[in-house]
Amino acid sequence: MGPTRCTVARSGGWSYASTVELSGVRRMVAGLEAAGVTLAASVPDTWIGRLMQTVRASAKIRAVDVAREEEAVAIACGASLAGGRGAVLIQNAGLLNCGGVLAGLVELYRIPCFFIVSYRGDGRDPIYYHAPKGRVTEATLGAWRLPYALADRAEDLAAQVARGVQLAHDSRGPYVLLITGGDLE
Amino acid sequence: MIPRKAFLEGLVAMLTPRDVLVSCLGANARYLPHLAVPAPCFALCDSMGAAIPLALGMALQRPDRHVIALEGDGSLMMSPNVLATVAAARPANLTALLWVNRHYESSGGQTLPAAPLDWVGLARGMGLGHVEAVADLLALRAAYPRARDARAPALLVLDVAFDPHEEIPPYSERPDEIRARFRVG
Repeated sequence: MGPTRCTVARSGGWSYASTVELSGVRRMVAGLEAAGVTLAASVPDTWIGRLMQTVRASAKIRAVDVAREEEAVAIACGASLAGGRGAVLIQNAGLLNCGGVLAGLVELYRIPCFFIVSYRGDGRDPIYYHAPKGRVTEATLGAWRLPYALADRAEDLAAQVARGVQLAHDSRGPYVLLITGGDLE
Repeated sequence: MIPRKAFLEGLVAMLTPRDVLVSCLGANARYLPHLAVPAPCFALCDSMGAAIPLALGMALQRPDRHVIALEGDGSLMMSPNVLATVAAARPANLTALLWVNRHYESSGGQTLPAAPLDWVGLARGMGLGHVEAVADLLALRAAYPRARDARAPALLVLDVAFDPHEEIPPYSERPDEIRARFRVG
């Protein structure tokens, strides 16, 4: 399963004209809020940490700091099962930890679970030690049959996030949006 | 030390329709469909270690409901970090019961790594404010209401007898059935 390039027309049901001037971080959080996300569970890296700073300021989303990524998945699933919408904000190294819980919880029980994942080591990442994770990220997503998209900062980031949340909800399964540091600006 | 089923029946007798029950995989999940559980129940048949974080997500989403998580010592030994996550999130409406029998019961009764784990000390060290050891059914009947009323996340550590000849019923509900029936009204 290959990625989809997120190119969501602003006229396609989501309208974020008022957020166009905002940073990528603020647009992504606006997308989470617009899609009805009520809880965001996270293990941070430097990129996801910036995103979570803004999530914490949201009046609509409960930010949950988590010790390990598998917990974040289960916490987000719990929120969804209890009537909310959960999201998971982690690095790709953490996503690689999550194969078991994705198969044994998200897929087995068909629970919506939206991920924003920092795509470290993808070639644009300046830090050399992330490269091995970058080499296996999309291959692993494909092997695990996880639907995913690469965020496109040239387009409406809020709509890309909201669309991912909705796709997870509609499919009752996982959906991953891969972001880079540049998407935060 | 008493058999698990007596503990489980004792707990179920104290539940109300306003509670929400989450069970780890294994014997508890297999017994529960045969008991008159008055609360919504989400029982796992896979995904070791997911019960407490799943319950945490539900508790944060629904602070008006008390959420009870059943977890085994084998599962929690795999992911004890979740205790720190729970302590940090501080849900007042989450009680976890840890079933300590020192065996991987559902996979054939293999022994856990033979570490002399002090679960009460570990949980307190992780920051949980209300932790009690429970040795028998009378103690459970006294400790559970205290845990509910603690206004803090609570952990009860149950000393459970392991019986390699216990006739545990097979899983009788499919994940899609559990998922479809689970509603937190």
